Amino acid sequence: MASSVKPPATAPSPASPAAPSAAARKTGASRERRSTHEGFLTHRRMFWAKLSGALALGLTALYIFVPLPGTHFGSSWLGYALGTIGALLILWLTMLGVRKRAITPGRWSLKGWTSAHVYLGLCVTVIGTLHSGFHFGWNVHTLAWALMLIVVASGVFGIWVYATLPRALSANRYDAEGAITERQMVEALRSIDRQIHEAAQPLDPQAAALVGQSLEQNPFGGSLWNRMTGRYPDCATHRAMMDLRALRAARQRTKDDLLGRIDALLARKDAMLDRLRQHLKLKAWLQGWLYVHVPVTFALIAALCAHVVSVFFYW
Amino acid sequence: MSFIVRQIALKSSGEEIVRSASYNIRELTVGRDTACAVHLPDLAVNPVHARIALAQNGRLVITAATEQPFTADGRSTLRAEIDPAVGGELALGGHRIAISLADDGKTPVLAVRRVEALSDSAEDRDLADAYSLRGLLPGKRISAWGFALLVLFAFLALPIYSYATYKPLAMKADARRPQGFHADQTWSSGPLSLSHKALGQNCQSCHTQAFVAVTDNACLTCHGKDAHDHVADKARLMQARGEPSGMAAVQRAVAGAFNRPTGRCVDCHTEHEGAGAMPATRQQFCADCHDGMKARLPDTKIADAADFGTAHPQFRPALVAGVERGKPVLRRTAWSKNLQEDNGLKFTHGQHLSKTNGIAQMVRRMPGRFAGADSLQCADCHRPDSAGVRFQPVKMEQACQSCHALGFERIGGTVRTLRHGEPELVVADLRAFYRDTAPVRPANLSGMARRVPGDAALAASAADYARAVRFHPASAGQAIDRAFSKGGMCHDCHVVTRGGTAATGGYLIQPVAQNERYFRKGWFDHKAHRKTDCTYCHASAATSMKASDVLVPGIDGKGGCRTCHVGGEGARLAGIAVKDPVESSCAMCHSYHMDDDAPWLPKGKRPKQDTNAPAGANLAIAGHPRLTMKLH
Repeated sequence: MASSVKPPATAPSPASPAAPSAAARKTGASRERRSTHEGFLTHRRMFWAKLSGALALGLTALYIFVPLPGTHFGSSWLGYALGTIGALLILWLTMLGVRKRAITPGRWSLKGWTSAHVYLGLCVTVIGTLHSGFHFGWNVHTLAWALMLIVVASGVFGIWVYATLPRALSANRYDAEGAITERQMVEALRSIDRQIHEAAQPLDPQAAALVGQSLEQNPFGGSLWNRMTGRYPDCATHRAMMDLRALRAARQRTKDDLLGRIDALLARKDAMLDRLRQHLKLKAWLQGWLYVHVPVTFALIAALCAHVVSVFFYW
Repeated sequence: MSFIVRQIALKSSGEEIVRSASYNIRELTVGRDTACAVHLPDLAVNPVHARIALAQNGRLVITAATEQPFTADGRSTLRAEIDPAVGGELALGGHRIAISLADDGKTPVLAVRRVEALSDSAEDRDLADAYSLRGLLPGKRISAWGFALLVLFAFLALPIYSYATYKPLAMKADARRPQGFHADQTWSSGPLSLSHKALGQNCQSCHTQAFVAVTDNACLTCHGKDAHDHVADKARLMQARGEPSGMAAVQRAVAGAFNRPTGRCVDCHTEHEGAGAMPATRQQFCADCHDGMKARLPDTKIADAADFGTAHPQFRPALVAGVERGKPVLRRTAWSKNLQEDNGLKFTHGQHLSKTNGIAQMVRRMPGRFAGADSLQCADCHRPDSAGVRFQPVKMEQACQSCHALGFERIGGTVRTLRHGEPELVVADLRAFYRDTAPVRPANLSGMARRVPGDAALAASAADYARAVRFHPASAGQAIDRAFSKGGMCHDCHVVTRGGTAATGGYLIQPVAQNERYFRKGWFDHKAHRKTDCTYCHASAATSMKASDVLVPGIDGKGGCRTCHVGGEGARLAGIAVKDPVESSCAMCHSYHMDDDAPWLPKGKRPKQDTNAPAGANLAIAGHPRLTMKLH
């Protein structure tokens, strides 16, 4: 997946993994570049999508047409078969966490593996639901089913952010002067901070305290909510800027417009902070779904164990 | 020389740069202002923040220039005294000023050093961390472990604990766990059926042992009385079912491998499949064995059956074959159209139900006495039993006596009758009648009625009467003979033979055995058929001229069950046309756990109680909405 998380730093127009064929895109830099990139979604002409679709259709047909004694349920031979397939599939899907740490090319490349992970992961919802025979209740069995749905839903969300957000991420990093890296963002902030500090030396204590707050605030600070929404109502830089403007308006203009210079610096810092925070927000969404996907997967495996043990325990 | 101020800066390599300056004044200013002797380029410091004065005793007195305090030796204060010989530290904003004594032992030295970064952004941080969600969310690894352990604890450890706690309650019919939640209920795959609802909190009632499939013994803990064995010999049951083949054999093998034996109660009585009533046993469960069973069990007396509509043997009603020690002997015989059964009575259904003969005429003359207006109806004699399922035996006193009266003497307005059912009493009553009464006295023997002159006629009459009186009791014998012989009141309905004792005048009445239930292996409920006219099924009743005609219908033919009932899945034989087919699976008439009662039916399928009419009332004459009502 890593290959599609970050667009190549040299590519001014990162191709979306969802639509690599429509590669020629214009951005701020007026260069055009054709991408030969093939994302995990379209890997091998969607071989895994077709396979999973066929599997889901086949099993649904079995569910509908195979005569079973009694009602459709996990305890019919078809139910046990579906359950076994589903459980093994879930364990295999989890193995992507191990597999992704070794990037290899070829038919069983990491990309191919990811493609299979995505489509078989979607298929497992069908298998699990058929296994349940649509009998749901407040029990460990339905818990496992619900956790499975949460995992798959978070995975689907992950695919969606991978397909859409990287473009916004690079657009945010590009401006008329070209791209800016994460390190450069911090360096730019440090530079502005130094300049603000230097310029603010002659200030009276009241104004100096305002500027000092801006310098002392952690640019990476804020709560999870601030990070996900990109809204920072407690931004000290912004507040300092506004308060200094009020001060400046109240004071008599002098030839040396110290407050004016500081205001300009603070405005620059504010703009850079906006950009950094937009970057942080996009990265948070790109990473955040994994904080659901991975832990809930392990909860699912635990529920699956309890489900299987309980069935044999009260056999 | 009063003060030495050393400004210490750090190179990016970590090396210190020290710039020293000496001030020969008594008081130093400390502040952001460049004019200050101790210049601190720090926005948290006031332009002139504090003053440091050298006191007479060699101590330094530090006072804040404004209301803004500074920190001396870790304490925020507006004034402090520090002995340079002892040393001390001042903190203003991000700067520290260490106070000591110079090597000469007199001059105080102020070493100024910036200890805090100029801004927060300037501080060192791991960028990979800073740009990630680390610190804002619990780590993936810790929450994965946390969730997994939580789930295992709540849904595995706790249920096992509650299983272990209540295990001793297993196999005890009345043992219940305390009300409330028990953790192993989270293992329940679905609600229990209506009849087992009370066991919902008591997993151990059925799941008696861990990793052992539910045993029949667990069921029999409560169902000791109502679960009759289908066949006592289990081996025979297995033989009847035969060995599975193909997919079924694979399933059997897998089930065996997972310690799930077949042939248990729960094979048919599945549970945890919804809160409704338990589903009715499906026809397939019966047909598995009974279809082609003759081939697997050659010595069985039971004919093969697979579906009522297409593969069911002819009925074998149990017929009365005689009476032994006062009880009828029953013998099952295959039904045929002209089946005969001797119940000891003489009776003609045809004559009694006729609409044209004298019987019908008598009914017409007594409106209101009988169920019908123009002829006798079935209900005039046949009364349903309390459940409405079958009929009470026909009782002479209720059904016959209004016409076939046993009266023999009228005293005043009261008619004396002979006792029915007790021929000894009949004989005794008749004898007593003739003993205690005299012949009618001739008119000329009494009173002053006109008579033939002279005594001769009178004497003859008197002699005749005396002889008649003398011999009157002896005429009892003739009366008894008349009653028991052809044309007599007993002989009308009963089979009378000579062979009785003296108490019955030598006559013997053949015992009557009315058959209460013809179909003893299947269940037939008249109440379920009350909307159907009797003769729709008992088709030959109106024409039967022999009491021995068996009028119960067979499986097919006129009035046969297949006239309406088709197989469980609607199958029927090619030659039979059914207007309103009733799908009839095995369980409609048969029960796996056989007893004398109705086969078990799930609650929703039981016939609804008619609240308007008492059970069984007017059963035989009730109207029918679908079938044409035939009146006889």
